[in-house]
Order: sequence, then structure tokens, then C-alpha cells
Amino acid sequence: MTLQAPFKPREQFRPSPIYRLAPFRFGRFDERRYVATNDVGEYVILEREELVALCRRRLTPTSPLYRALKVRHFLFDEDSDCALDLLALKYRTRAERVAAFTGLHIFVVTLRCDHSCHYCQVSRQTEDRAAFDMTPAHADRALDLVFRSPSPQIKIEFQGGEPLLNFALIRHIVHRAEAINAHHRKDLRFVIATNLSRLTDEMLKFCKDHDIYFSTSLDGPEELHNTHRPLRGGNSYAATLEGIRRVREQLGPHHVSALMTTTPRSLGQIEAILEEYVRHGFHSAFLRSLSPYGFAVRTSLVRKYDVADWLDFYRRGLAYILDLNRRGYPFREEYTAIVLQKMFSPQGASYVDLQSPAGIGIAAIIYNYDGGVYASDEGRMLAEMGDFAFRLGHLDTDSYETMMTSDALLGPLEDSLLESSPMCSDCPYLPFCGADPVFHRATQGDAVGHKAFSAFCKKQTGVVHHILALLEDNPEARSILMSWV
Amino acid sequence: MTEEALFAFEGDAIRVTLDLRVYRLTAIKKAAYRVADRCTAMLQSPSEHELPVLFTFKAGASKESAITSVRAFYQELLDQELREEVAEETGPMRALILAHAFSKTDLIRRE
Repeated sequence: MTLQAPFKPREQFRPSPIYRLAPFRFGRFDERRYVATNDVGEYVILEREELVALCRRRLTPTSPLYRALKVRHFLFDEDSDCALDLLALKYRTRAERVAAFTGLHIFVVTLRCDHSCHYCQVSRQTEDRAAFDMTPAHADRALDLVFRSPSPQIKIEFQGGEPLLNFALIRHIVHRAEAINAHHRKDLRFVIATNLSRLTDEMLKFCKDHDIYFSTSLDGPEELHNTHRPLRGGNSYAATLEGIRRVREQLGPHHVSALMTTTPRSLGQIEAILEEYVRHGFHSAFLRSLSPYGFAVRTSLVRKYDVADWLDFYRRGLAYILDLNRRGYPFREEYTAIVLQKMFSPQGASYVDLQSPAGIGIAAIIYNYDGGVYASDEGRMLAEMGDFAFRLGHLDTDSYETMMTSDALLGPLEDSLLESSPMCSDCPYLPFCGADPVFHRATQGDAVGHKAFSAFCKKQTGVVHHILALLEDNPEARSILMSWV
Repeated sequence: MTEEALFAFEGDAIRVTLDLRVYRLTAIKKAAYRVADRCTAMLQSPSEHELPVLFTFKAGASKESAITSVRAFYQELLDQELREEVAEETGPMRALILAHAFSKTDLIRRE
């Protein structure tokens, strides 16, 4: 009987000097460094000489860089038995979301609003015009479409205008959705995007009974918030804070979140804005730039600052937030957290605006107050400006099949896929980015857009670059950022 | 030799000649596309190994900024050329990984 050796001989573990490149993208990171990424979101920062050495197969197998590149699937050698399987598995995991299909269903229950925000992107109407309310018949028809989606998670978001002005319809939709879901048994959630000014105890009780979440706007200190968000005959800031307090009291602290919109007036006040969030017990903020739709365009507000201004605002905000964490107050910036999810989570991030293929229709869909169905929230905003490119159909006349296979959806989806878009296809930030056909249609007149002129591209590459720089060059910031994943 | 002397100015435009034995046409086109926010690169008819390119700039651009833009084009061209090398080698593998990734799903229609 021959005994088998328990271990392989030493020479079996000697690194092979022969390696092959796996697919990757690269681009300049700063004056001396490059960033390389692959399709599954792994990244490496390296010097140009190292990049050239990698491509020309001059790397030494015993070097730390070789090992880092091998572990992250940028190269493979004779030892990499399962490299292909691993890469395929990781890719499939990141792409699972596409097959899951539409998870976010937005109901615009009314276009009426009691606020007259200067940056309003949805072209709200005055309160007394019931012609801008969704009808129960349209809501029922929309619910039929909601449950055609194969997604195991369904989130129904109520938007406006101010959705609480048509709370009777919200009540109707929630009841009916729950009844339908008794059969489908999906993970069904509800959220109301509201300014909270019309919140009554009766509404709160209903929301508590049905586990409904609230998303609101808090733009900063009282003067800034009220300047941005005038409330006829009232004080929007006071109404919002009172609403937040009541939701927390009745439903719990995590049932209400807030986000802010950056106007030229906000740019110099990031620290005060974040202090406001801390003072009111929030542990996160979403630093949003203006979108080129609705009143933001009509009032020319969107042209009063550029991407460089917003990026400076964002970087100062993130520095302030990191400092808050250092001082022991846990706080995160939501947009950064989304990008970090895309970098480090096996599934990527579910944020519909940063997907490829784009999230339009297949991640989120909009049922407008008038029965129109749109591929995205921004698509309906564009329609209010007279461009119906992203209108999929109407609840009265079009079937689910017609709308989900319409040219209005499939055309921009195919055209704007990052993997085949000029400049995006070889951009190292592709795995952390997304296609935004509506933005490019609004700003450049076509769904793909020329990325050398794209504010979306400049913003996204600026954000990702800053996060990567913090991760690479600032160990303390890295440990805080990694806790957000 | 100064940089200014390396580039042939034709009025406000700059003409350069690229050696097609050094740079692939695809890399040249991609580099031109990428710097389109700084200058317009007009690719002209190639002779055997040479491709003349005329760069024009926004109205009022200084000579210095024009040279900086063309320099950015050359730097981008080096990157694009390297990208072409990587893509040539790894393209089939990318297709293989994608096919492998979805091979066990029911998303691929089998004829």
C-alpha cells in the first residue's frame, strides 16, 4: 500500500511566470497614477509603469502588485483554477437585478401642491384644481400592472405635487395592493414623498397600521429652507420639522428620511445644512444637485451653478460628515453610500439612476396622475415640458406588453447601455456609474449624449474619483466609508 | 525644440501628422472623441502610413491653451493605444465570461 503525501510538494506553490490578462478598463487617476477596474467592480490604483508592465507581461509573480491584480481578477495564471468561474459568478450576481425587473412603482396621485418651490421639477399645479388628481380607476389599472412585474420586492412610492392632498387615493391604493398581494406574497412596501405640511393624526394612524415610510425635504436652516420652499400662508420649515417629530413619535425614528436639493444659495452653506440635520437627529443626508427639468429650467436656476461648483459643495460636505464621524456622531452621505455599494457589495446598488442598462422602466416605472405611463420620474418631468419621448403609453389604451416592449423603452435602453456607449465603454468608472438617457435627452437632445460635454459624466466621475482618492490616500476616511457599505 | 515648434500652426488651427504604424486608427478616433470638449480634430485622408489631423479650437482660445489641448490629445492617444492592445487580447475572454455567467439561467433563448 502506498501512502498518499498529505501535502503537495513545494514546487507546486511556486508562482507561474506566465500569466494572461483578464478584461479590464483603465484611465488616468492623477498626475502619476492610473485606476484600473474590471466588469465585476474590482479596482486597483497603479503607476503608469506598472500598468504598462502588466500589459506587457513584465510583472514579477512574487510582487505584491501581481498578487493584488491576481486576487482581483485582472490577470490569471496556471494556479488560477477557478478564476473564470469566479468572474462569471460575480458578474451574474451583479446582473441579477436586471432579471428581477421593475421593483419601484411610482404613483403620482396628484399634481396639486401647497408649496411653490423654485426648483420644482414636476411643474406642480395649484391646490384647487382636482383635474390634476389621479382617478381610482387609473390607480386600479396601474396596480394590475404593478403585479405583472416578476420582482419579488415591490415598492410603491406616492409622489406629487403633494400626495397627502389626495390621501383618499393613497388609502385606496394601499388597501387594494395589500389585497392583491395576499395572493402574490411579494415583499411589498410603501413610501410617501411629502412635504409633511398636510399630515393629520388620521393619516399617521393609517400609515402606522400599514407600515408606510415617509421621505421628505429638508433643505437646511430655516431661512434657506423657506426661501427654497415657499408655503402659501405658512412656514414650510416649521411644518416639516413638526411632521418629522410626529412621524418619529408615532411610527418610530427610522420611518422618516430627508433629502436636500442644492441651489446656488446652498453652495456656501453646506456646514450649516449638515448641522441642521444633526440638530434634528438625522444620521444621514442626500446631497442632491438640481435636475434640468420643470421650474428649475423655467426659472433658469439650473444654469446658475455648474458641476464644478456642486462637486466642491459635495467634497466640503463629505469632509464635514467624515469629521462628524471622527467626533463620534455616526452620519452618512447617501449618494456616497450608493457608490460605495456599487464598489464593494456583490450585488452592486439598487439606486435606479445608476444602472446599466438604465433603470428606466425595468427598475422603476411611473403612473402619472392623468393615466400616462412613463419610463422614469424624470421622463414625466420632461413630458411636462412638452417632450414625450419617455411616455410608454396610457393606462386606458395600452397593455403591459405593449408598453414594456415599446420603442420608447427599448430604444433608449439599448442605445444608452454603458458597455457600448462611446467613452463609457472604456471608462474605468463604468462599474460605479449608470446610464441616464433622460438627462442626456433633456440636455443634449439624444439618449446617449456626448460624454465629453455631459454634466452627468463630469459629476459622476468627479464623485467616484473623490471617493477612490479618500479610500486610497486617507486610511481614517477609508475606515469610516467602509462602515457605510 | 519648444512645443510650439513641434506643432504646425495654420492660422488658429494646429496641424499634426500621425504615423499609422504607431497608432491604430481606432485609437486616434477614440482619442479625438474624448477631447471633443477642448478641440475639434478633423481627420483627413491618410497617405500610406500618415494621417494628417487638423485641430481647431473655440473662438478666442490662446496659443498656449491650444497646445495644451493637443498635448492632452497625444496623452489620450497613448492610453487609447494601450486600451486597444488590452481589448484585442481580452475581448474573446469577456464574451466567454458573459456567456458563462448566464449559461445556467433561462435568459438565453436556445434555438
